[in-house]
Amino acid sequence: MDLKLLLNWRLHLTVIVTSMFAEWVGIARIPLGPGTLLLLPLLYAFVIGVLLNPHLFSVMGKLVPKSVSHASGPIILIAILPFIAKFGSTIGPAIEQIIAAGPALLLQEAGNLGTMLIALPFAVLVLKMGRESIGATYSIAREPNIAIISDRYGLRSPEGIGIMGVYVVGTMFGTLYFALMAGYIASLDILDIRALAMACGVGSGSMVAACSAALVEAVPASKDELLAFAGASNLLTYATGLYISLFIALPITEWMYKRLKGNAPAEVRHEI
Amino acid sequence: MKSNQTAVDHFDAEALKELRPENQLGKTALVLAAVCISAWFSNVVNGAPLLDALPGMLILYAMVMVGLGIGRACPFYLPSVAWVSLISIVMTLPMFPGSEWILEQLAQVNFLAVVTPVLAYAGLALTGREFAMFKHTGWKLVLVALLVFTGTFVGSAIVAHILL
Repeated sequence: MDLKLLLNWRLHLTVIVTSMFAEWVGIARIPLGPGTLLLLPLLYAFVIGVLLNPHLFSVMGKLVPKSVSHASGPIILIAILPFIAKFGSTIGPAIEQIIAAGPALLLQEAGNLGTMLIALPFAVLVLKMGRESIGATYSIAREPNIAIISDRYGLRSPEGIGIMGVYVVGTMFGTLYFALMAGYIASLDILDIRALAMACGVGSGSMVAACSAALVEAVPASKDELLAFAGASNLLTYATGLYISLFIALPITEWMYKRLKGNAPAEVRHEI
Repeated sequence: MKSNQTAVDHFDAEALKELRPENQLGKTALVLAAVCISAWFSNVVNGAPLLDALPGMLILYAMVMVGLGIGRACPFYLPSVAWVSLISIVMTLPMFPGSEWILEQLAQVNFLAVVTPVLAYAGLALTGREFAMFKHTGWKLVLVALLVFTGTFVGSAIVAHILL
């Protein structure tokens, strides 16, 4: 790729203005029923980026020509790296807490592999989806998982479309859905409330907050204990999630996908 | 249509391999500088003023370059994200010399502000092909996403419940 395109000043200036505007708008919390719809600046930045995209509205080509838009693809791979570095710096200082959290918490991390157990067969067999279903179901689709897909397949691949779709849904409705689901499952009184608290640690700050808040709402007496379990579990997911999803979840999803495809009708590949 | 699709995928895979950041360190160093500048400005609004955040941004830049350098030199393949995150974890461990100063500088960089420009690049990078695909599968992805969330929550809860 031509360096001139990669360093195109219009592209980077557009991104700077977009990001600063998105940051200025800030986090919006919209109360909805028992939960809260949490909108972050990165969501606005994505939406504005899409609206300025010359492939959607050709008039935008005056601001960002199509060739520059193409150059933006490989830039994403590099742009995510400073964020990954910042992300890692939250784990180093907490290493003792993570070690102290113990084996029960550690094994519970395996439950995060549950993302694809129901969702992948449903996506492949019922919805007849193609390889998008791999990106969509191998993880909870937060930023580190996006980085893995972006590294492995590229964000413009079917897998990339899948994970970005789940990412957008998670950003818009994830907080609300986790609050609703956790509160509802707690009210069923089948599973230990502390187990539910650990399950809240899925590797997303806003989701763990909404999820544990809903549990505290259900059992106010154990507030401190529940928040501690949820926090430790979330920290653990931050620390191990990247490696578990890369070395275990993604290969399992690929394998399951191949098995499911073997049983499914042949015409499932996406045609455009 | 099917063969076209495969051809495009193949091309993407080839292009991707060529563009892996660790394979062209010189080019990556320049592009990384540009994206760090975007993040640096994005950080002004909710993070810290430009000068206060400068050491923190430079540390992030250095962590990424060290991670990519190791990834390049290493005989086995590990994605660049894994290397970069490993470098960052090690450099912020309490026993690492100067980790307190590093964390102090990194505190000037807002966690969410660094990722905002990434999503802006992502929005600008989508092509007609992706828009068509999104249109086609959008509603399915909503259903799948809710199943993904339910799966991870119930999965973890059942394992933890048995162990408690």
